[in-house]
Amino acid sequence: MFQDFAYLIVLLPIISFVLTLFFGKKFPANGGILAILTIFTAFIISAGTLSEIYHGGVVEQSWHWFAFLDFGILIDPLAAAMLCMVSFVSFLIQVYSVGYMAHDPAKPRYFAETSLFTAAMLGVVLSDNILQFFMFWELVGLCSYLLIGFWYRKPSAAAAAKKAFLVTRVGDVLFLAGIIVLYLNISDFTVPDGAYLLQFQTMFAAIEHIPPSQLTLITLLFFGGAVGKSGQFPLHVWLPDAMEGPTTVSALIHAATMVTAGVYLVARTFPIFLASPDALIVVAYIGGFTALFAATMGLVMNDIKRVLAYSTVSQLGYMMLALGTGIVVGAEVVGMSLFHLISHAFFKALLFLCAGSVIHGLGLQDLRQMGGALGKMKITGITMLIAALALSGIPPTAGFFSKDAIIEGAYSYWTHTGDILPYAFGIIAALLTSIYIFRLWFMTFTGEPRTDYHAHESPPSMTVPLVILAILALGFGLAAHGAFGGFLEHTYSEHLIEEAAEIGGHHLAEEHPHPPPILFYLPIIVGVIGFVISWLIYSKRIFNMSSIISSRNPIYRLLLNRYYQHQIYTEFVAITIVHRVLSLIGEFIDRRIIDGIIDGISWILIMIGEVIRRIQTGVVQHYAAWVVMGVVALMLFLFHGGGIL
Amino acid sequence: MTLPLISLMILIPLVGAIISFLSRTRNQARIAAIIASIIPLIITIKMYLQVDPSTMWVVESYDWIPQLGITYKLGVDGISMPLILLANIVVPLTILFAWGETKRTSSFYGLLLLEQVGVIGVFSSLDFFLFYIFWEITLVPMYFLISIWGGPRKDYAAIKFFIYTHIASLVMLLAIFALYFIAWAQTGYPSFDIVHLLAQYPSFSPVVKDVIFFALLFGFIVKMPAVPFHTWLPDAHVEAPTAGSVVLAAILLKMGGYGLFRVMMPMLPNTTNTSLVITVVAIIGVVSIVYGAFLALAQKDLKKMVAYSSVSHMGFVTLGFASLVPLSVTGAMYQQFSHGLITCILFMSCGVIQHGAHTRIINDLGGLVQKMPKLTFLMLGGFLASLGLPGMSGFIAEFTVLTGSITTLFIYVMIAVFGGVAVTAAYHLWAIQRAMFGVFNEKLGHIHDLAGYEMLSMAILLLLVIFFGVNPDPVWDFMQAGANTLLAGVHII
Repeated sequence: MFQDFAYLIVLLPIISFVLTLFFGKKFPANGGILAILTIFTAFIISAGTLSEIYHGGVVEQSWHWFAFLDFGILIDPLAAAMLCMVSFVSFLIQVYSVGYMAHDPAKPRYFAETSLFTAAMLGVVLSDNILQFFMFWELVGLCSYLLIGFWYRKPSAAAAAKKAFLVTRVGDVLFLAGIIVLYLNISDFTVPDGAYLLQFQTMFAAIEHIPPSQLTLITLLFFGGAVGKSGQFPLHVWLPDAMEGPTTVSALIHAATMVTAGVYLVARTFPIFLASPDALIVVAYIGGFTALFAATMGLVMNDIKRVLAYSTVSQLGYMMLALGTGIVVGAEVVGMSLFHLISHAFFKALLFLCAGSVIHGLGLQDLRQMGGALGKMKITGITMLIAALALSGIPPTAGFFSKDAIIEGAYSYWTHTGDILPYAFGIIAALLTSIYIFRLWFMTFTGEPRTDYHAHESPPSMTVPLVILAILALGFGLAAHGAFGGFLEHTYSEHLIEEAAEIGGHHLAEEHPHPPPILFYLPIIVGVIGFVISWLIYSKRIFNMSSIISSRNPIYRLLLNRYYQHQIYTEFVAITIVHRVLSLIGEFIDRRIIDGIIDGISWILIMIGEVIRRIQTGVVQHYAAWVVMGVVALMLFLFHGGGIL
Repeated sequence: MTLPLISLMILIPLVGAIISFLSRTRNQARIAAIIASIIPLIITIKMYLQVDPSTMWVVESYDWIPQLGITYKLGVDGISMPLILLANIVVPLTILFAWGETKRTSSFYGLLLLEQVGVIGVFSSLDFFLFYIFWEITLVPMYFLISIWGGPRKDYAAIKFFIYTHIASLVMLLAIFALYFIAWAQTGYPSFDIVHLLAQYPSFSPVVKDVIFFALLFGFIVKMPAVPFHTWLPDAHVEAPTAGSVVLAAILLKMGGYGLFRVMMPMLPNTTNTSLVITVVAIIGVVSIVYGAFLALAQKDLKKMVAYSSVSHMGFVTLGFASLVPLSVTGAMYQQFSHGLITCILFMSCGVIQHGAHTRIINDLGGLVQKMPKLTFLMLGGFLASLGLPGMSGFIAEFTVLTGSITTLFIYVMIAVFGGVAVTAAYHLWAIQRAMFGVFNEKLGHIHDLAGYEMLSMAILLLLVIFFGVNPDPVWDFMQAGANTLLAGVHII
């Protein structure tokens, strides 16, 4: 019953967008209530659809669009799980926003744009073809642009919005090229009845008709898009700057709506990735490296939201790493990756909303100015501690189950391929994760206040979502880790996966060896070690850190300056090479050479024209003269007959 | 068959123009203008419901000068109908946008209507002689629009515009005469009928064929314009009044693209060395896309940036034309239609900013959103459409051109994607960030937001851009039928 209304999942938030944008001021809570109701209804339909397909089956609907293309809905287990997460987390964030944005004059615009943001993400999730996927994907990018630049009067916000759009656009260009190359390879493929070109199922059916090298090209181009959207190295630079928007927007971007789209893309097209000989290895390496690389920067950031931003980059790296290990583990990795995606969505949304609550309550954003906030903000402090435990993978939180599965997958990868690096990336990043997140928690909530601030706990509309998310961050893993993988297994048929693995030349491991006890407990051990290190340094303060946290320490300087990415990307590549050099060379060619030639020719012509002008004055007559001359030519021709030519 | 509808579409704006020229008051002129420009739109919509896009729907064919084979022959099909629709949408909206014009208003509105006469004539003529007359008619009003209502260097720009495009027209005229005379020699009777002449073309001798082909190609791509024949465009735009720029970019440039499809496409497979010709045209298209985008990035003047963006976007038309694949040819036609709508919003935005801030230098602007929220909203919509955001018409066009062309022009498509798409996003967003967002530049003083008529005009355009981005079918089906008919006779080696 719910599945017949699946289109409403996207349509309702869009309606909310249109109505709120134009009439928001007249609605209760300036559109907030409408936004909450529509997204909640979308969640109900999503959850209902999930329960309907829980024991098998998929929802497929499509309508003709134009040319050979359709608009369509595909809800299989992968999409259903994702839909529920996106709509539910967005719903909680909208509830929280009513309190958080209470004093902002531009509330209608806020609720309109966040509604569209969620709609776009839901559209990505239930698309049944790659073009529609791309369209909603771009719409997600547009909304992030609008929302990061929400306070557009701040030059830094306008700059961050532009940066987010352009950096992800680089990825999108690769994605678009991937779609085009895919079309090149399947354009003469006979489409099965009822299906159409560019539909996911058609793509999977066509895999065996595409040469493996082309599959690698296509999937790496797709992955380029995912790298941009999911903030993977080297296109992660936009994400930490995306903090310029309201904190709730950060929560949406980091948990529910945007960055997960890249992971979802790889999961959605997983059979093609598997059929390519090399693509998943690249995914594993980029993911693992990003997990570690971002965690190192998370260690030294002083802005509470920036720490969380690097944390997101790092955790997305884990999800990519999980997918990458698919060449050994098989289709199970889709479930593993999505499980971490969802548990991450809960605890990362919670971390951001807690950070928002801290910013709201303290009026501060710099960790060095905080301290001792736990006394004034009990709910925020405790829920944030739960989120921190989940992030560092300490049992029995959701993060423990999801991260542990990924590290086990990496272990399996290690034992089958002899390649230890992805596993090592995962373990070291886990240690760093634990250190930076407890550093954040201790610096915020324990010790003495380091500046004079007046803290107060946030209103219930903000703390209730915190508690709900905390319960999920705590209990989701325990409750769902068994059923979740089993449910998602039905996403791709075994036959399809086997065939794809064979084309890619991968041998899927039949069984996964259990690691020796020391390795089995290693993820937990490093989590606890990280906690202890942070506790000793930032709570007990038994070490003097001033020699390490110093501008004289080159490593600290490198990390604090974020590996000088701004200098390399923005100042060198974007401004110097693209803008100054290339476009100014173009300007020179255009003005001096091409136009110079034209002006030269026209000078000669004007000289000739001067002669004509003495006979014919004025432009209209000039024109008439040509007609007359043409007619004369005709007449001459007529008199002489057709014999000339 | 009751009324000669196409002739009426040409005649009514002509009558409107005369009334407008003779008007004593501004109000009289502009009311006459808007009525005379809207009636053709109503006729177009009526025709839309009747025309079968796959065949030529000849409304009228009268002998004019039978001794020379000149006929008054008008017709529409899937290739021309969407462009006539475009022209009949753009002209009334331009008049609406320029409702507040104060300088020599009766001539101003009259000249805009004459442009409508000219382009509808071009898009519907089936006789080369008639085609050429209408083609030239479009030049004259634009010359006056630039030279009377233009900016500081208007004389240079107007002359450059006129001479440059006029030379291209003359080259085209010579090619038409060559076609005409040789066909006459072959068949023994004179005829300027376009279909007839194109049917005779394959039997010409190789050298003659190539000379005619490149002469016509030159005539059309100067109009589009394509690199390296584009330098008249930025100068013309910078000096032209807003309404002039809008009409120039939205419909006059489309005549070049229309010529490619109507005239060049049936010839293309019959040239001596077709693959070489395709390579040349594809290179021109790709270079226009990439080079235009980089040039746009380098501009300091907002309007000049928009002008270069036209060069870049029209490159997709050339590229799609060269592919000879139905999907991509249809996409190229769609790009013509879509760019026509989008570019109006961009030029109108430039005009409003120039009027309010008295400058268009991007770095001298800043934070305009605080004074002009309505403009910023509509302008952002136009900019996003222009950078190819899905959900807007430009994306449909560019995506179909690229996917369609990939099968025949792989490397060119890849260059266009990697060299053009990201840079296009960059110059749009960079410009709007510096001009509209951030801190308001207090030196600009007091600035008004959009007037009601300006807002209405731009809002209608933006809605159309979104409508045709979400639901391309009404126009797409026409173009597809037209492209299929065109390509039915085309067989590539």
